[in-house]
Amino acid sequence: MASMPEAPTMVLIVRDDLPLSSGKVAVQCAHAAVSCTLAARKSQARLVERWRQSGARKICLKAENLSELQMLAGQAQTAGLVMHLVKDAGHTEVEPGTITVLGIGPGPRRSIDALVGDLKPY
Amino acid sequence: MGLRSFIHKMTAPRPSGQIPKGAMKMVFVVNHGLKMGKGKIAAQVGHGAVKAVMNAGEKGPALLDAWLATGQKKICVKGNDADHLARLEQEAKQLNVLTASVHDAGHTQIPSGSYTILALGPCEEHQLEPLTGALKLL
Repeated sequence: MASMPEAPTMVLIVRDDLPLSSGKVAVQCAHAAVSCTLAARKSQARLVERWRQSGARKICLKAENLSELQMLAGQAQTAGLVMHLVKDAGHTEVEPGTITVLGIGPGPRRSIDALVGDLKPY
Repeated sequence: MGLRSFIHKMTAPRPSGQIPKGAMKMVFVVNHGLKMGKGKIAAQVGHGAVKAVMNAGEKGPALLDAWLATGQKKICVKGNDADHLARLEQEAKQLNVLTASVHDAGHTQIPSGSYTILALGPCEEHQLEPLTGALKLL
């Protein structure tokens, strides 16, 4: 399926400075995706529908550390995008309350690309 | 949605189902035979989670509410291959556990249509034990 350039997208940004197993990362990303989707469904139901119809595009990127993640979160908020910072409950692997993943979207691809275009894939 | 069905939805009693009592959980079985990268797995599990949540919103709202209210507990385990995932999906259906499967669009890394993730739940933890209790954590 060719994804249209204007199809909405979601990005999941993982902190690269934490020792997380791939299962843990996956679960944290899932958490971000669910929380973002539920939040967006309240404020922008149509966009969420369009995003799901077009294959619910998600990509996984990495940020160097917490401050980069928080900066991106702030910028996303300023741009009016739905975003969610995932705090780990700390049952395993990291200290309780550690911020691990930032989810942005679903939102217009152009606005999201403008924020995260420089980040590397995870 | 028409006006009448809208009004019906507003005034109808909430679909009750059984009110779950035990600890709630969602489990993702990852197709480990595909050798996906970490980021790929994370995005696929994200798909599975969103799909499972949307699905549960229709088929088991009481389960979904209980799961969301208790911190959206999730874990990832390893499945051997697509056949293994399909077998678990069948078994889960027989046990009345909600399922959602993810087949990759194949833009990157793996062939198009590969069965990547099976999401089970949300449901009570003990219901998942016979299905995934023996599988290793990812």
